[in-house]
Amino acid sequence: MSFSKIKRRDFLKIMGWGGVGATLVGCDLPTTVTLEEGKEKVVSYLMPEEYVIPGVGVWYASTCQQCPSGCGIHGRVREGRVLKLEGNPASSVNKGRLCQMGQASLQAHYNPDRISKPKIRRGSSLVDATWEEAYGLIAEKTANISGSKFAWMTGSISGHQSVLLQAYLESIGSGNHFVHETINNAVWAKVSQDMLGDSNPRIRLDKAQSVLSFGADFLGTWGSPLHFSTEYAKFRTSPRGILIQVEPNMTLTGANADLWVASRPGSEGALALGIANQLVSKHGLSMSGLPGSVQSLIRSYTLDETVTATGVDADRIADIATTLKRRSPSVVLAGASAQGHEHGYQCVAAAMVLNVILGNIGKTIESNGEFAYASMAPVSGNTQSLVSFSQAAADKRFDVAFFSGVNPVYTAPKSLGLKESLANIPFKVVFSHFNDETTAMADVVLPLASAEEDWGTHVAPYQAGVGEISIQQPLMEPLSTETRGFGDIVLTLLKKRKESAYEGFADYYAYLRNAFSTIPAEHKNGASDDQFWADVLAAGLIDVGVKEASLKVKGVEFDMPKEMGNSSAMVLAPSARLGFWDGRHANLPWLQEAPDQISKVVWDSWAELHPSTAKKIGVKEGDMVKIASASGEINVKVYIYKGVHPDVIAVPLGQGHDAGFSRYAKDRGVNSLSILDAKVDRMTGELALYSTNVKVTKAAKTDDVLVRFGGSETQVGRKLVSTIPADVYERTEGGDHVA
Amino acid sequence: MSVLQHLPLGRFIEAASRGSRQTKQTVQVSFIVMLLMAAMALFSANVNAEVPNAVPPEGTYSGIHVEQPIEFPHDTHADINEINCMYCHTYARRSKVAGIPPTSKCMGCHSVIATDKPRIQKLTEYWENKQPPLWNKVHDVPDFVHFTHEKHIKRFVIDNEDLEVENVSEVCAFCHGEVKKMTVADKVKPLTMGFCQRCHQANDGPSDCWHCHK
Amino acid sequence: MSLSNLIDDWSRYRKGREEGGFHDYEHMWGMSIDLNKCIGCNACSVACYAENNLAVVGKEKFEKGQGMHWLRVERYWDEPDLGEERTSEFQQHGASFLPMMCQQCNAATCEPVCPVAATYHTPDGLNAQVYNRCIGSRYCSNNCPFRLRYFNFWSYYEDSWPAPLQMQLNPDISVRDMGVMEKCTFCVQRIRTVKDTARMEDRKVRDGEVQTACSQTCPTGAIEFGDMLGMYDPESGVAETRVTKMWRKHQVELGKTKQNKQTPDMRGYRVFEFLNTDPCVMYLDRVREV
Repeated sequence: MSFSKIKRRDFLKIMGWGGVGATLVGCDLPTTVTLEEGKEKVVSYLMPEEYVIPGVGVWYASTCQQCPSGCGIHGRVREGRVLKLEGNPASSVNKGRLCQMGQASLQAHYNPDRISKPKIRRGSSLVDATWEEAYGLIAEKTANISGSKFAWMTGSISGHQSVLLQAYLESIGSGNHFVHETINNAVWAKVSQDMLGDSNPRIRLDKAQSVLSFGADFLGTWGSPLHFSTEYAKFRTSPRGILIQVEPNMTLTGANADLWVASRPGSEGALALGIANQLVSKHGLSMSGLPGSVQSLIRSYTLDETVTATGVDADRIADIATTLKRRSPSVVLAGASAQGHEHGYQCVAAAMVLNVILGNIGKTIESNGEFAYASMAPVSGNTQSLVSFSQAAADKRFDVAFFSGVNPVYTAPKSLGLKESLANIPFKVVFSHFNDETTAMADVVLPLASAEEDWGTHVAPYQAGVGEISIQQPLMEPLSTETRGFGDIVLTLLKKRKESAYEGFADYYAYLRNAFSTIPAEHKNGASDDQFWADVLAAGLIDVGVKEASLKVKGVEFDMPKEMGNSSAMVLAPSARLGFWDGRHANLPWLQEAPDQISKVVWDSWAELHPSTAKKIGVKEGDMVKIASASGEINVKVYIYKGVHPDVIAVPLGQGHDAGFSRYAKDRGVNSLSILDAKVDRMTGELALYSTNVKVTKAAKTDDVLVRFGGSETQVGRKLVSTIPADVYERTEGGDHVA
Repeated sequence: MSVLQHLPLGRFIEAASRGSRQTKQTVQVSFIVMLLMAAMALFSANVNAEVPNAVPPEGTYSGIHVEQPIEFPHDTHADINEINCMYCHTYARRSKVAGIPPTSKCMGCHSVIATDKPRIQKLTEYWENKQPPLWNKVHDVPDFVHFTHEKHIKRFVIDNEDLEVENVSEVCAFCHGEVKKMTVADKVKPLTMGFCQRCHQANDGPSDCWHCHK
Repeated sequence: MSLSNLIDDWSRYRKGREEGGFHDYEHMWGMSIDLNKCIGCNACSVACYAENNLAVVGKEKFEKGQGMHWLRVERYWDEPDLGEERTSEFQQHGASFLPMMCQQCNAATCEPVCPVAATYHTPDGLNAQVYNRCIGSRYCSNNCPFRLRYFNFWSYYEDSWPAPLQMQLNPDISVRDMGVMEKCTFCVQRIRTVKDTARMEDRKVRDGEVQTACSQTCPTGAIEFGDMLGMYDPESGVAETRVTKMWRKHQVELGKTKQNKQTPDMRGYRVFEFLNTDPCVMYLDRVREV
């Protein structure tokens, strides 16, 4: 054996030496293809800072703008270009980590399809214009406008952009600020406000021993996903917590659950009450503190009643109750699929009632405190604003509307009639990075500087008990001289209305710089003004603290409609994913090519169906189905697996852009939001996203195939991912926190 | 092009490796600046000095002559006025690329020296327009080659205790030829893999492929 | 000389194995991936695209299996057998995620088959791919049991990075052209930068100083990366790194086809260990409450 090895080695050596001579001859031939001598230009710096050295990357701190979570980032800059983003370890939100959307932020910045010039509508088309023309037109149209005739729709906003925006609205005398985000936890916030006195309580996953989540995709789209991912790692370290996820179709969080329970959309509240009933009747937990009507509601959801209402096995319901009791402290969450109903508030309230019964308030659900500077505090978006804006537009209440950080024509279901009623608004200004469905309706399009080119301050909506103001600073010079930062634009608009108040600020940077010099001395640690600013920029953030607050359980009465859980009509689930988010990132090639976490589909839309339903309809993977609702229909290819309730067809968000939203998103897939019914949650006015009944039929196949990441669906007996039971893990690694 | 000319705004956090290289570098830089000053004060006529502890690479090459926006006279600077290479090309010992000196460095002297010369007037014009000149690349290695100046400077200059610092140009000449006898630089060494490899062999340089190929 | 050098390295490693497992490497880069923490979110994969100039190939080429994802997150469904030929109605334990990148095998099956020695083992314990040497025979990819080598069937530059997207390209690593095989390098350009820095400062590379793009971005910190040389050569002066501690704790050793664990339930394992390719990536079992 060893003899043959030596022989083989010697042989290779001989061959190797033989090859060397030849190699050296080749090595002296100058490469002709790749050398750029005399062709390539070399640009020197004009007057660099001492620390800027060609060939050496420098890291600058900033804030990610890919979703409203407000993660701190570091950008690696070399030769004036930003090359790579990483998380900022100092940020309490993401602790040095970054998700795929954050990584892909660079492709939004360097995107070949960014708008680089202001545009003004001439007849039916938008033509290039100058900033003077655009500002002139806006000044003309807003000169004598009455406040009630003006509206501004934004995405979630905070920091000094929010301060300036409010100042602009004030200068017009308008209170019409619509804050819209399709992916939100507005109902959770409202229920928390009503029942705990805090709309944004702190969730202690690190302390929890069990998590019961009704569709709260906290690893993907709920709350602050990256923050909860870092907390999840602690939750899963010994003593390892158990995660139970109840939802109509599997989310990223569901895919990581110990127990995944399929629920018919709308039955989540009934299931929560049924579990509450078990906890009270079988485990002797107290309902005191809850209003009498809620107590009797819980009593009415006996095991049999709950099984009828939800279709979930009796054993399973009892098991969940037992687990929650045994694995204390627990935490119960509710997200998109639980809140997206006409009785969404009740579903979420029922989940919160479980927290009260389990005694989680004050243990795993705490107060985050209150951000000290109200004018900079985050304003989180919702869909109620979209509904009320659509209504107001239909009623012809606005003469001028601004849109920034939103694409409502894409995110609004057709049944809201937003696209049609926008015609009732004579003058629409859209701030945007890209051509999209909303810029297509605009009278003026203002090209924004990318997140990597702009200044800003942000206050993350979810912060774990701290009050950080996170700085967004440019990571490089603007790619186009014709784009402007959001703050700069608002400041210019403000100057045109109240010159005297803002003339001292040459630009938004000067405004921010001044704002930081007025920060109370207690936050400056005795540093000089310039030093303080330099320190803040270097750190990327400053913690200004929070006002202490505590949670107080209040009795809130609610009912639960009984019929919701047991209809047999198919329900459309417009599931959101960490990736395309609400569709805003479909123009980023990295995210198009990154397979969906669950279905592993790339570059396309797909519908998720349970095998039994697929059999009923007569389709197999890749076949086309027609999904028809009261307000329209979409044709989409199916992916079949057992992570979806048989009564549900899930079509994740993101694709189906129709207005040339970049070459990457063009003519790709469908937008499942478009065919949703205009139903709303009766208590909060939020769009009921998971309550549209649809008819699903087989449709003719097209040439366009469903492309999925290769490989087998199961491990076919190979030990690729090996799984061990939790008790073994506790036995070997229990109490050991080295990892 | 414009994006490459300016600095990003904001403040330095840490160098690429996120290590603590700044402090160390500052020490090194000031040390070298002191050496340079000493070297400039100590007039030395030794133009063809040997580099101790090193075997120069063999090979010659005759490249195309590349025109530059300003006909920069290396001979006037490095030969007649005996300015050390590393006075202007400071990046060579701090980075993988030697880089072109920033325009501010030229103006450091030429805001007062030789301001009547047409070349300097052209330079001043660039400076006042805040536009650095676009130089044409002379020495290039293929994209798949990872060459780092700083490690070569460390091996042959910084760690080479026997080297007189005024003879640094002899080390540079290994790969760049006698630039101090040229006006604008021409490529006179082949910079091929064989050229690199022979030098690595003669001087015990690493011979692992992934040291130099990326 | 390159060819003789790599043959030397290779022989040295083989000899080391015969003589008891150790060989005089400068570093031995290794990884540990905790599947209990991995949530399958794909952040690592996109970070890899950003760091390593990976081409975006588009739907049609992706369908043909030409996607260039050096780091892919595989997803497997359970097949719970409930007896009597029944299976569960739902995926009640979620999915199994597996981040898969080049395992940097010490006895790599791709290396000996390369007709031009474009892939070889470096003194850092890395499985190198020298792009300008590669002639595209694809023998290596045929021989990789993990299917982790990706071939440039096309020239992607124009389509993948239309201006100004090309400005994001990392200058520390080349953009590969048609006919070249490529794969995960453990972010060798980052390793190189850190080694250069350490050399300039006359010191050794510190633990945690090199982070691969995937381990740095991982939201749950599931991926650990570091030098494992200290585990095999206490004399080398390399301190016990975090990743070495993980390997030691989970009782996985390099150079073995079958681990002989004192505590058999410790979670560490290597994928396809029995094939004797000696991977430098250790996985830790996924954990589920059952």
